[in-house]
Formats: sequence, C-alpha cells, structure tokens
Amino acid sequence: MKPAPTLSSAFLEPRGHSLPAPLLELRKQRGTALVDMPLPTRKTENWKYSSRHLKLTDDLATTLPATGKDGYSLSLPGYRVVFHNGVMIPEASDFPDLDGVRIQNFGDLDDDDAAALAERLDNTLDTRAVQMARLNSARFEDGLYIRLDKEVVLDQPLFIVHEVTGTASGSAYPRIYVDAARHSQITLVEEYLSSGNEPVMVNAVTEYMLEDGANVTSVRLVMEGENVQHIGATGVRQAANSRFESHCVGFGGPLRRHDLMVRLEGEGGECKLNGVVVTQGKQHYDNHTSIEHVAAHCNSEETYRNIAADESHAVFNGRIHIHEDAQKSNANMNNKNLLLSTGAEIDTKPELEIYADDVKCAHGATIGQLDRTSLFYLVSRGIGRREANTLLTMAFINELVEQIPVQAVKDAAQLRLNEFFDQTFEEA
Amino acid sequence: MLSIKNLHASVEGEEILKGINLEIKAGEVHAIMGPNGSGKSTLSQVLAGNETFEVTEGEITLNGDNLLDLETEERAREGIFLAFQYPVEIPGVSNLQFLRTAVNAMRTHRGEPEMNAAEFMKLAREVSKQVDLDPAFLKRGVNEGFSGGEKKRNEIMQALLLQPKLAILDETDSGLDIDALQVVSKGVNALRAEDRAILMVTHYQRLLNHIVPDYVHVLAGGKIVKSGGRELALELEERGYGWLGVKDEEATPSAAS
Repeated sequence: MKPAPTLSSAFLEPRGHSLPAPLLELRKQRGTALVDMPLPTRKTENWKYSSRHLKLTDDLATTLPATGKDGYSLSLPGYRVVFHNGVMIPEASDFPDLDGVRIQNFGDLDDDDAAALAERLDNTLDTRAVQMARLNSARFEDGLYIRLDKEVVLDQPLFIVHEVTGTASGSAYPRIYVDAARHSQITLVEEYLSSGNEPVMVNAVTEYMLEDGANVTSVRLVMEGENVQHIGATGVRQAANSRFESHCVGFGGPLRRHDLMVRLEGEGGECKLNGVVVTQGKQHYDNHTSIEHVAAHCNSEETYRNIAADESHAVFNGRIHIHEDAQKSNANMNNKNLLLSTGAEIDTKPELEIYADDVKCAHGATIGQLDRTSLFYLVSRGIGRREANTLLTMAFINELVEQIPVQAVKDAAQLRLNEFFDQTFEEA
Repeated sequence: MLSIKNLHASVEGEEILKGINLEIKAGEVHAIMGPNGSGKSTLSQVLAGNETFEVTEGEITLNGDNLLDLETEERAREGIFLAFQYPVEIPGVSNLQFLRTAVNAMRTHRGEPEMNAAEFMKLAREVSKQVDLDPAFLKRGVNEGFSGGEKKRNEIMQALLLQPKLAILDETDSGLDIDALQVVSKGVNALRAEDRAILMVTHYQRLLNHIVPDYVHVLAGGKIVKSGGRELALELEERGYGWLGVKDEEATPSAAS
C-alpha cells in the first residue's frame, strides 16, 4: 500500500522571527507537531471532494514577503486594519481609539499579552477536524489580537483587509483572535483580496471567544483571484446568552475551503450562520460547518446557498451535534443549491447527531435549476434573457444578501455578482 | 394586425392545434371560446412564444412581420402581451423591480430613456389604482402570496403599463368573484383603443357581458369550427357546444356561468 502523503518539510520553515518570544515558542511547538502530518486525501471524509484541488507543492511553502504596496484605495466606512501577505501594514490601517478596546497586531504585543494569547490560540478549534488550521498555527508571521472589555460596544464595523500579492508563488497565514468580554459588542468584516498571477495559498484562521451576553457579528467576503487557493477556518465558542452572527459571501477559485465551527457552551446562546457561494469556470468551493449544542436552551439557525455555473463544483457539509445535556435545543439548517449548467456539480450533506431527547431540529437541502416557467413569464414581458436570468438568480440569494449588515460589503458583493451574471448569462 | 394561417402546433409530439386561421385588425376585440382541451391556452402560449410548444406548420404575422422568427422577449417588445391564466409567483424579485425592468426594456427598445425609480413609482401607483390593487403589493415578491384575483389584477396592471398592440387574455376571468371580475373588466376596457387589438380566451361567456367582443370564435379539437358576432356567445350560453357537434365533457357554458 502506498503511504499517505505527508506535509513537505519545506512547509515547516516560518520566514520571520519578529514575534514576541511566547508566540515564537508556540509556533515552533506547533510546527514540530506537524512533522509527518498526513495530508487529506479523497479517503479523508471531510476532504472527499476537495483533496484533489489541494496543491501543496514546495514553491508554495515560501512565506510571501510582506512589503505593503502603494495606493490602498480604501474608502471603507469605519475602522480598518490592512494586512499584506499576512503581516499588518500600520500606515494603511485606521484603529479605533476607544476605552476598553484593544486591537493590536501580534508583533506589537508585550511578552505578558503574548503569553496570554499563546495560551488561547487554537482553543476554539478542534484541530483534528480542521487539520489545515494547524499549518497556520505553525506558520503565522503576524496577526490581530482584539480584546473588548466588558460592556464595550464598538460603534462602527472593523474592517480587516487581507490582501496577498502573487508576484511570486508562496503562501500567507492571516490570523485573528477575538476576545469579547461580557456584553461587549462588535461587527467585524474580513475581506480577502489578491493581486498578481503566480500560485498562492492563503491559510487563514479566525477565532472568536464570546463571554456571557457578548454579541459578535462576523462578515467574511472571499474574493481572491484565480491564482489563489484559500483555506480558511473560523472557530467560535459561546458562553451563556451570547449571540454570534456570521455572513459569509464567497466567490470560487482553484480551491476555496472554509471550516466554520461554533460551540454553544452556555445556556441561552444563539448563533445564526448565513452563507452565499458563487462558482464558475472550473472553480471549486467547499464549506464545512459544524454547530455543537453543548449546553441546553440554545438556538442555531443556518442558511447556505450555493450557485454553480459552467463546470464548477460547490460542496456544503453542515453538521449539527446536539449533546446529551443540551435539552430544549432549537436547531434549524437549510441549504439550497442552484445549478446554472449541466456541467456544474453541487454536493450537499446535512449531518445530524442528536443525543438529547427534547429538542427541535430541522434540516432541508435542495438542488435545482432556474425555473423555466418563471423565465418565460419574465421574458414574455420584454425583459431580456440575461436580465431575466439575473433577476431569478438574484432572487435565489437576495434574502441573504439583504441581511448583510454592512452596506460596503453588500455593494462589493453586488459588483462582483454583476460580473458573474455578465459572464454567465447570454442574451438570446 | 395579427394574421394566423393554417397554424399547427404540438407538444411532446402530440398535435394540439390543427390548422387555425384567424385575422384580427387593430381596434377589434375577439373572443375565443371552447371546451376544455380544445387548444385555447395552447394558442395563447404559441402566440407569446412558449418554447414548450412546437409550431409544425403555418404562419403567424404581426403587422406583416413573421412572429415565429422572434424570441419571446422580441415578440413582447413588438407589442404582444399575454395575461397568464396562472400568473407565476417569483419570490425574491419584487413586483416593483419586475415591472420597472419590463417597462424599461420596452422603452429601451423604442429608443426612449429609462424611467428612474421615482418616476416609475409614481406611474406604478397610478396604474395600481386603476386595477384597485393596493400599492403595498408593489413591494412584495412577484405574485407572491397574492390571491387569485390579485394575480389577475396584477396581469391587467402589467398590460396597462406595457401598452401592447395585441393583448391576449388567457382565462382572465377564471377564479374571480363578481367584484374582482368588474375591476378586471374595467381595466381591460381601459385597454381598448383604435390601435390595439384584444384577444380573449375564455371558457365561459360571463366575461363577455363585461367586455363586449366584436367577434366570437369557437375553438374545438384544435380548429376554429364557428365564427360570428357577439350573439354567438349568447347562443353558446343558451345551447352549449353540442349543436356544433362539439363535446364538452367538463361543463357547458350555461351551467357554469
């Protein structure tokens, strides 16, 4: 039998060492643990459809140099932090200056804070289930540590822009850790962009730790180019009466993967996970979500929509795990899929594990095409084919796009969607 | 205006229309009556360009142009309008957005500037009053959760907005109570104009009490078997279709009115 492929040792060499000692130590330790890490293959259940798109050639092992770049044309309302190739660019960033809000890049932490962070990193993630996140922990060059004191409300969204430049092949490892103390509140936008044409891998990890009553809204917009493999993981742990809301909007690439894991650990916790995925050409997008109802009296609501055109492939795997003590759990998962061509493929799998007996748990998944009768109705009013198809496709995701709480993200997503419609639909 | 010659059409290999001949001039109102399964709705759908139906023989011209060469949307822009028997519900597309897109597609075709949202809203509010439809319906999804009567009024509203040359009304009276029937009829009568023709397809004669046709045709077995003035509709109401040698298994017009 052929031995399972393992991670090339080239990937175990971080580039820079300008991190505080506790983080350097953590990174080294995580790296050592990666020696001989088996890579996902098609026999790995959670990478069944995506392993063949995962390319970890040695040229990608090099950390891309963080040079910053000229002319960040950002007109984002609110606060922003810009990362280039995984390292913060202070001159492009605009931090909030509010009592009780500490937003610092890893490189600027003092040893005590760095030690506290090192204790926490990875503690929201089950790294057996999200194996690729382990690579981030062994490789991050910088990151953002966000701490909100109790009852602090960030008055505007915080934009975190992660841009990679593929002028040479390599990889970047963006990392965010958010500590939201009791009854604090934040809306955070992660935007993933790229330039250049050489093959690049982005391996991004974001973690959220919510104390009692904290209220966190996360918006994630993935719009990197055709040269970028994006492997992302988001871990969330929620204490009692906290609320987490996630809006993921992603456009395809050679590989897009996002693992989103939420643990509801205190009574009265609530999460709402929305996702929109659009793929075209030969793109591939894989969303794996997992919601753990650990404590009783928690609600989860999940709605994902995939749209696949041409010969693209989208995957949705939604797991809900209701633990034995999680009585009165209320979980609702819905995944609808739209195939825009006969060559496109969508695989969807709801996974429910329920060990408590007094719960409400509903799930539904559908795969369909645009309705011909609706299309005929629209064109019979003089509306052109392209516009009619666009209206119907937008109708499929409108509800989710409308719910995105940040207008600038809605606008950016809509612009990219319009390009997609122009490329996908032809006038008769 | 509309000329149909020896039209044959089939669906999934089964011939439904078996040689229709019909001439409609501008300003005229024609009614096509006939029992269920006679091909009335097929004729409407073929005129509008539904690709489910295949035209196997014959020709249709609109003001001399070959209609069969045109796509559905091109026919609409040339002035064909079909009020659907079963208007389609499209959740996620607002009625307002749908109507404005349609009106602007027509305007662009005619070389007129598009209407902006505010201009269109004003127009839509006016027209919605004409068919007694609460403007709140404009904000809802296309026909989403509308009652049968509301859907039919929305169809007539579209006709009033799009100002077609030929309006085809497919069973527009079905499922309407008497009040709704009056509202819809008022809307249709408002459409009557010198330069516009109306083709009503109906199973029952009661609509024809409100919208008086110039000509009545009886369609049976995929052919027009009898044509006449409006008195033909009254005669059909009296006597049913039997005297024409036509079976109506479902109901006679008189029994259903």
